[in-house]
Amino acid sequence: MHRPAREAFFLEAQGGGRFCLATHPVGPPKGAVLFVGPFAEELNKSRRMVALAARAFASAGWMVLQLDCYGCGDSAGEFGEADWATWVGDVGLGRGWLSDWLQMQGRDLPLVLWGLRAGSLLIADHLATEPGARLLLWQPVTNGKQHLTQFLRLKAASEMLAESDAKTAMTRVKAALQAGETVEVAGYAVRAALASGMEAAMLRLPSGGTPSVEIVEVGAEGGSVSPAVAVLGERWREEGIRVGMQAHSGPAFWNTQEIETVPGVIEASLAALERLRS
Amino acid sequence: MTFRELALLFECGGDELVGVLSLPEREGGEVGVLVVVGGPQYRVGSHRQFVLLARHLAANGIPCMRFDYRGMGDATGEQRDFEQVQDDIRCAVDTMMERIPGLRGVVLWGLCDGASASCFYARQDDRVLGTMLLNPWVRTAATEARTYLTHYYWQRLRDPAFWKKLLGGGVLVGKALGGLLGTARKAGAARQGAGQDPVQSLPARMASGLASAGKPYRVVLSGRDYVAREFEQVAAGKPWAALEAIRDAVRLDEADHTFSTAAWRAEVARVTAEWVESMGREGAR
Repeated sequence: MHRPAREAFFLEAQGGGRFCLATHPVGPPKGAVLFVGPFAEELNKSRRMVALAARAFASAGWMVLQLDCYGCGDSAGEFGEADWATWVGDVGLGRGWLSDWLQMQGRDLPLVLWGLRAGSLLIADHLATEPGARLLLWQPVTNGKQHLTQFLRLKAASEMLAESDAKTAMTRVKAALQAGETVEVAGYAVRAALASGMEAAMLRLPSGGTPSVEIVEVGAEGGSVSPAVAVLGERWREEGIRVGMQAHSGPAFWNTQEIETVPGVIEASLAALERLRS
Repeated sequence: MTFRELALLFECGGDELVGVLSLPEREGGEVGVLVVVGGPQYRVGSHRQFVLLARHLAANGIPCMRFDYRGMGDATGEQRDFEQVQDDIRCAVDTMMERIPGLRGVVLWGLCDGASASCFYARQDDRVLGTMLLNPWVRTAATEARTYLTHYYWQRLRDPAFWKKLLGGGVLVGKALGGLLGTARKAGAARQGAGQDPVQSLPARMASGLASAGKPYRVVLSGRDYVAREFEQVAAGKPWAALEAIRDAVRLDEADHTFSTAAWRAEVARVTAEWVESMGREGAR
């Protein structure tokens, strides 16, 4: 099979270049996909799985753009300088680049925002001001506050504190963030303006602006999606959004010790993208 | 001094690798640094260590490249381990030499099994001027058992809580003893095996790589890291002792395996820049 052509470049933006990897479609284009990733080690661990999926999507005719947010991956800036609003803005930046590309194709083709984990929260906040995209969500985080708490727990875990000390440490970390300080967690400096934005983020969609959503999860048993996601999906259906939900068995590739991949998720996503076209 | 960064795609064995080059604003750095990624990481590294290192070096006049070898991160191709990345390193060195006018050569900078891969590669390429080895990965079943024996069991025996637990019935005595004896057997096999089959063992192959390369190297060891402890054990025995690899080792006593704080990363970056600059000066003489 012909290998999709790729371009690696820095897209100029406020604060410095955002690293981008564009994978061009093989054959007549079907549409464009923007990947919006997770942060910290989840971004690192999932990189190969995402790259494999991006090439599979491109081979099936999709233009795929992977853009690292400010202070993440190869992009400019330090993680500790990043805030939530800048990351939400970066979703718009990537979308804008793909919209320009779609326009050059001269046909009305769909644009898909593809989120992984906390990337789905960024997509939700982006859609609040710029609705209209279709969504492919991998293992979406539904509640930013819970997600932030789980991340902050890594600090206690890394210091191998006992249960009671861990609780005290968490309280201290949260108080520091409340006071506007930056805290270092698992090698990442977390700024108060990042924490507060993430804490307020929820996976919600503006009414009327999202025609369809496809959710793909990894589960130990496979089959049905997690309860929180299932509830959310049902609510969206009631609001008239077309929702596909499925789970595949395999390792949690975004946080396994070794690099893992789940080919079933990529295959399911290719079918999901076909449904998103219609 | 400021720097700029270039995103690159380059070929290796029919596959496509992705790299990022951090360049000093002003040209003229004669010695560059090539980060050989180790462990289950892609080119940015745990908590972005390799990105931040590259920027620090470039800001100090030293060009630096990080890249994904085949099967990792954004590179195409099959996944492979550190024993099979020699061609990938060569392609990356080629790319750096092509892209940076006036570059005399590179220092390979490898953490964990990236250090092991660098030891293998150093002798194969005249453009490699030296290697920086951080918490080098020397693990075999035997070295692991020996380190565990020394550091884990010895510490447990000295820990009053262990004896309290033991006397109070909180430790299964048979299980604890069985574990200790099994580990001791493996460690003993390591000592006997050391002289028998140097061609097969990972630490011996690394040592012979470094010795035959005859190029300067610098070791950096973390205080809170079993991988570093295993390396120290290996470095004290044959054939490593002759290399005196740990005599001038830089030690970060509080640091963990991946240098997971800004302060430890900064210290590693500083030590790297200093050593590479000294090589540049020697080369100029």
